[in-house]
Amino acid sequence: MFLALAEMRRAKVRFGLLIGAIALLVFLILFQQSLQNGLLTSFVGGIRNQDAPVLVYSVDGQRTVQGSVITPDLEALVRGTDGVGEVGRWSQGTFTVVTGGETRMTGGGGPGEDAVDASIIGFDTEGLGTPSDVVDGRLPTAAGEAIASDADAATGFAVGDVIRVLPGGFEIEIVGLARDVQLNASPTMYVPYDTYLDVIAAVNPDAGTPLPSVLTVRPADGVSDAEVSTAINDRSLELDALPRETAADETPGVAQVRQSFQIIFLLYALVIPCVTGLFFLIITFQKAGALTLLRAIGAPAHRLVSALMIQAALIVTAGFALGTLLYLPVSQQRLGGIPLRFETAAVVLWAGVLTVLALGSALISARRVLAIDPVEATTGTGVGR
Amino acid sequence: MILALRELRRRPGRFATAGVILTLIAVLLMFLGGLLDGLIQASTGAVRAQDADVIVYSDNAQASLARSRIEPEVRETIELLSAVTEVGGLGVVQLGARVPDAGPRDLAGVALFGYELAPTGVPDTPADGEVYADEVLRADGVEAGMELLLGPARSPVTVIGFVSDTSFNGQGALWASPATWRDVLDANRPDARVSGEVFQALVVRGDAEPDDLAAMIDRITAEYHTASATRSLSVPDAVNAIPGVEEQQGTFNQIIGVTIVIALVVIALFFSLITVERAGLYGVLKALGARSSTIFAGLVAQAVVVTLIASSIAAALTIALDAALPPGSLPLAVSADRIITSVLLLLVAAVVGCSFSLRRVLRIDPASAIGSSS
Repeated sequence: MFLALAEMRRAKVRFGLLIGAIALLVFLILFQQSLQNGLLTSFVGGIRNQDAPVLVYSVDGQRTVQGSVITPDLEALVRGTDGVGEVGRWSQGTFTVVTGGETRMTGGGGPGEDAVDASIIGFDTEGLGTPSDVVDGRLPTAAGEAIASDADAATGFAVGDVIRVLPGGFEIEIVGLARDVQLNASPTMYVPYDTYLDVIAAVNPDAGTPLPSVLTVRPADGVSDAEVSTAINDRSLELDALPRETAADETPGVAQVRQSFQIIFLLYALVIPCVTGLFFLIITFQKAGALTLLRAIGAPAHRLVSALMIQAALIVTAGFALGTLLYLPVSQQRLGGIPLRFETAAVVLWAGVLTVLALGSALISARRVLAIDPVEATTGTGVGR
Repeated sequence: MILALRELRRRPGRFATAGVILTLIAVLLMFLGGLLDGLIQASTGAVRAQDADVIVYSDNAQASLARSRIEPEVRETIELLSAVTEVGGLGVVQLGARVPDAGPRDLAGVALFGYELAPTGVPDTPADGEVYADEVLRADGVEAGMELLLGPARSPVTVIGFVSDTSFNGQGALWASPATWRDVLDANRPDARVSGEVFQALVVRGDAEPDDLAAMIDRITAEYHTASATRSLSVPDAVNAIPGVEEQQGTFNQIIGVTIVIALVVIALFFSLITVERAGLYGVLKALGARSSTIFAGLVAQAVVVTLIASSIAAALTIALDAALPPGSLPLAVSADRIITSVLLLLVAAVVGCSFSLRRVLRIDPASAIGSSS
């Protein structure tokens, strides 16, 4: 212990550089973990965190809510499927809205108002396609009311705020906030279905009556989500019924985001043991003479190995702590429309993984230390020569 | 310098671990860069391809084609401007396309464009019912002469040729006449229907600088059409205004920047340790007349060679990864430009990282080195 610490004190720059490198790697890994989770939540949180167990798309929609259109004959097929308990309508569109209004107003945008893209979801049945975790206020019940995602409260979508949809100036008042219900990485509002139709009519006077994008389904008692999905899909090749979690995971782009980040994480995770291993290998080579001498005067091999492993553990701990400190303020930020979070589980997981990898790589140097023959002190040879 | 390169040749194993780490970092850089390029290409191709000075959206559309609507009278006003030489309408609808011989649930995602002024690489407007397809759709089995059925209404269009790099929002583009676009939109997206001669955007060519032209257009439409004012953007600005493009570029570039710093620290660490190890040898070289600059140049040469070898291996690995990925699985676009940029960045990191050892080389005293040797 004394040897390990004394050496680190005397070679501050050398050990400092290694700690800095590990800290940067840890920071990048944790930041990207937050980015991945934030990206996925803001993409499909609105699907994952609503209360309909099954979503039915049209095959043409390719598992995107906005691309899907359920025609009346398809809707009739779903309603007539065995095992279907309750059916609701769900429609979604992306609109330009202005925030910044605290009271209802008429006319054009005023000072302090910001135009942003927002997703508006219309639902016709409470408890079937509505946010499952309301954290403030309530679900919308009257025309012109909405519940928004808590992630957007600070950007003009808090309870009491009035949002105007452009063009047309249709006004929506936020009456509640729900946890993680964004869709398409944009501010998201859930409104009663009639309000959704009013928004469409106000924005595009040429528009016909929109058909529902998706049907929300609750299975009958005793029927599982998977069973009802299969039963619905068997009714028509035009229907694509999916349990809620599958619908979120199968949304286009989600698998690609996951795969991309997995490759990135793998590469970063490989770099850390390589850097640590390289460092201790070179250090061991450099100290070959001293280590051989220490062995010759009676220092047991396990003490030298312990010193090495203590150094590796201290460096990884310091690097991880520094990296986490760098990550902490960044994890409180928003990246465009994506809110980042401090991912405690990821911090714990990566602490374990990186410690094991770094100590494992230091074991290569430990093997060399164990292989030192004290007799070599008298012959001038030593480890690595 | 010769000594340094000879050492590399005779004892390559000494540099192997640093080479492996740099190879991994180089693969990371090229992969991250390739992902960024792939994402941007797939989102912006159709807008980048516009052979125009300015793209005109409605003011409240946030530069989104799907939400923009330009009325015929607004177009007439723009056409009256003396700096405007040509104006063409543009519209898009994103749908699923049924490809012959594909499974009944296996649809290709397409963005059908109706256009009046041909984008770069796209021929003049085809006859109604015919389309030019982006070549990315070949991965979905699309071939020339094939009839695709678009959307839930199964609107038929016939592919008469292919164009390249015109994807939009990650979907392959189909380029059609305005009438075809209007019919398909009307049949499949009643909530997005547009009437008469309405387009989603206008593509404008003119005599003035793009920014000046955009300002002129926005000024005149604001003056004469208060309720239908426009937001005009040059093509590069329109590309950046596509939702997510700037955010993606900013985030990826920051990650790439920090990865470069890591490469720099790794190189600095490796060569500072090498320098410490060889302090005695360098002392002897200095005593024999070698200058500090010569010794440092040798270190830099080693760093550059190791980085070049690592980068070459990384480039081969990245190209192999790109080839091994099934089409459409990851938006990875590996290009020579991206590889060269990554190598140059790594070389800069190598030289800067090496410079951390310069102080140590300068501090080596030949006399004490000879003393310790003896």
